[in-house]
Amino acid sequence: MSNAPGSPTPHSTVGMAVELTAITKRFGAFTANDGIDLAVRRGEIHAIIGENGAGKTTLMNILFGLLQPDEGSIRLNGETTVVADPAVAIKAGLGMVHQHFKLVPSLSVADNVFLGMEIRRHGLIDHAAQVARTHELSKRFGLHVDPTERVGLLSVGIEQRIEILKVLVRGARTIILDEPTAVLTPQESRELFQTLRSFVAEGMTVIFISHHLEEVMEVSDTVTVLRNGRKVATRPTSELSKDELVRMMVGREVSFDRRPRAALNGDVVLDVRDLWARDDRRLPAVRGASFTVRAGEVVGIAGVAGNGQTELAEVLSGLRPASHGEAWLKGRDLTTLGPAAIREAGFAHVPGDRMVRGVDRNASIAANTLMGRQHRAPWSRSGVLDWKAIAANAGTLIKSFDIRAQGSGDPVKRLSGGNIQKVVLAREFTNGADFLLIDQPTRGVDIGAQEAIHSEIMRQRAAGRAILLISVQLDELAALADRILVMFNGRIMGEVPGDNADEDRIGMMMAGVLPEPAAEPV
Amino acid sequence: MSERLRAVSGQIIALGVALLMGAIIILMVGESPVHVFMTLMRGAFGDQEKIAGTLLQTTPILICGVAACIGLRGGMFNVGIEGQLFLGGFAAAWVGFTFSLPTGIHTLAALALAVAAGAAWVAIPAYFRARYNTNEVVSTILSNYIAVLLTSYFTIFLFKRPGGWSETPPILATAYLPEIFSFSRLNWGLFIGLLLAVGVALVFRYTSWGYGVTMVGSAPKFAEYGGVNVKRQGFVVLLLSGAVGGLAGGVETLGVHHRFMEGFAPGFGFDGLIAALLANGSPVATIVTALFFGALRSGSLLLEVDTTASREIITVIQALIILSVSAQVLVRRRGDSQAGERRWKF
Repeated sequence: MSNAPGSPTPHSTVGMAVELTAITKRFGAFTANDGIDLAVRRGEIHAIIGENGAGKTTLMNILFGLLQPDEGSIRLNGETTVVADPAVAIKAGLGMVHQHFKLVPSLSVADNVFLGMEIRRHGLIDHAAQVARTHELSKRFGLHVDPTERVGLLSVGIEQRIEILKVLVRGARTIILDEPTAVLTPQESRELFQTLRSFVAEGMTVIFISHHLEEVMEVSDTVTVLRNGRKVATRPTSELSKDELVRMMVGREVSFDRRPRAALNGDVVLDVRDLWARDDRRLPAVRGASFTVRAGEVVGIAGVAGNGQTELAEVLSGLRPASHGEAWLKGRDLTTLGPAAIREAGFAHVPGDRMVRGVDRNASIAANTLMGRQHRAPWSRSGVLDWKAIAANAGTLIKSFDIRAQGSGDPVKRLSGGNIQKVVLAREFTNGADFLLIDQPTRGVDIGAQEAIHSEIMRQRAAGRAILLISVQLDELAALADRILVMFNGRIMGEVPGDNADEDRIGMMMAGVLPEPAAEPV
Repeated sequence: MSERLRAVSGQIIALGVALLMGAIIILMVGESPVHVFMTLMRGAFGDQEKIAGTLLQTTPILICGVAACIGLRGGMFNVGIEGQLFLGGFAAAWVGFTFSLPTGIHTLAALALAVAAGAAWVAIPAYFRARYNTNEVVSTILSNYIAVLLTSYFTIFLFKRPGGWSETPPILATAYLPEIFSFSRLNWGLFIGLLLAVGVALVFRYTSWGYGVTMVGSAPKFAEYGGVNVKRQGFVVLLLSGAVGGLAGGVETLGVHHRFMEGFAPGFGFDGLIAALLANGSPVATIVTALFFGALRSGSLLLEVDTTASREIITVIQALIILSVSAQVLVRRRGDSQAGERRWKF
């Protein structure tokens, strides 16, 4: 443990775990990394931050030997090294935890940890020793797992701990984590940060990739910002403010302050009355929700994930039956209709799980913009599709929603998360619906795109649409919503006005501490 | 576009690997692979009669392949085409030898009943799939045995031609599918198959219904969200797939055998399914793959005459193709499997 944050040491190579010099990597005409220098001191938590497509993952893949740089050199622990493949990197004490886990679901935790380097006794796998060693490591670094449990039964957060354990038993002293918190709950993220700090306390080095500002500010000692394949700066975290960091990442001012708005005076568009629904385990998940959404109004639903928001969205969009209650949209009760009829009634839906519900990843942008309107002119006549018109429209949407793609024929899976979300928004916001259900619009979306998506939502509000915005991010609701309803355990605990939203009050309602009798009888 | 190129090159590599392994096995039985493959080529394309023979074998494989493609497109694995083919074949023959109708109309009526029989037979697994989410792979496989044995029962106990083989009385000439050449039994069934392949491809590409079905197959939750009735379309797709399977049987009896015989068309349903998989579910590409399997079958006739290899070597090669194609599909889809995609249900 050589360095505390903010106390720069003389730049001696001895203290450097990793030094990349002038790394350049091109894919065809596209330059993913353009002359990037990066120096990571031993014993620090070094965050690499940038928008999607800034070159973070490419750089780390080069460091770990998964890609070869076109130019530049790598020094590991002060020695110039050609990292021809990951085996070289591992030997030099590097370990990488990828975004997608590579675990065998049918094997136990310990067996997964030691897969490929099993502890043997008399030629057989020594399970007891593997379990003991896994247990010891997990205790030492606060990576709580049960070594004997089968991986297939575990949550994503625990799978990540197993991936980290795998890296540890392979002797890593410098650990690279690629967007580790993208799959974690806030609670799990906090535990992960504890673990990262315990690594540093033992003199190890952590490099972690992120585009979440808060966590970078919270956990890192040093930040390197990348933008469009170039390095913008490397600075001690303590010298930076959040605003500065955003400006460096995006290259311009970005504001997540409350959006200015005109006063509303619209009619009630959606009227939900005492709505109940069950989750997949047949347990009540929505318990007597009642609320209204007016034209030109953004009603936010706050709450910790898993408190009935998903089920509420599914019931309203016809994907899940209601067990009781009504939801009136312009004179039609949505609980009696299927998804197609609900869309016909003037309902658009930006789903929370956009990769599964929102798009067909393998289909083109054009084909994805067609969903829900494939039976309507001008996209089809007498059941025959007009692909020319569909592609032309998709081209227009790509322009007006600033979707970064080569053309409407691009498969959606080639786009970044933010651009995939823009495809969904483009489709849903242009089908003429009066009511928009928007679920987690900016989850996993980088900052520049987040701002664009927020602006688009506000444009829809200005156009007189009624909007129900479900989000687990309070700052998003505070920026956009006119009223915020807080959900806890399937109930709506209360309502807070959107301007000057009292975060403490919302927080208490989210935790179920502050029950407020339903004070809003339509 | 490069996506498609990758898929095509993947299938070709898989095919090459299978043929290479086949060559090794031929070496092991002490025959020259070059000689065997040349004999196969000669047997399949050596002269106009052989080419017609190849096309004759291709026809039922092609129609069954289109049947499989319809299912695959909607995410349904119809492994019961063999059974639908048998029932369709019997139904067409029954109309052919029971009724007497004007030429042409007789043929159409027989084909119509073949289509209906295929659809009705798959309706049982399709219903259970839609209603109770039963795995259609298992139920359609099992329904094959019942179909094959049921048609045997009809043939042997109810409609057996007096004396001779286990076969029905011959159908009337008014119900025949016309032959194309004088020197071969090759008939209009080939045109039916080609039209069907192109027609089905067009329907999937250019209709609203085809778009919805394609989405059900590739992203069911997305389709459901967009208002496509996933269960109903799954049912419809299986029904259509079974209908075309039945048609394949009708074409075979009306065009080639002119009667229904017990075990009249062994393996065409399965060959069709493999051809469709090799074609990645594309009906038009299935024309090519069906021709390939037709040529293998037809070429194998010469194999036992001119080489020391058994014609069973063809079955071995086919099995190798299935292996390498499914391995290839698994490798190519490994990246997607994390998204829980379930397009090929192996």
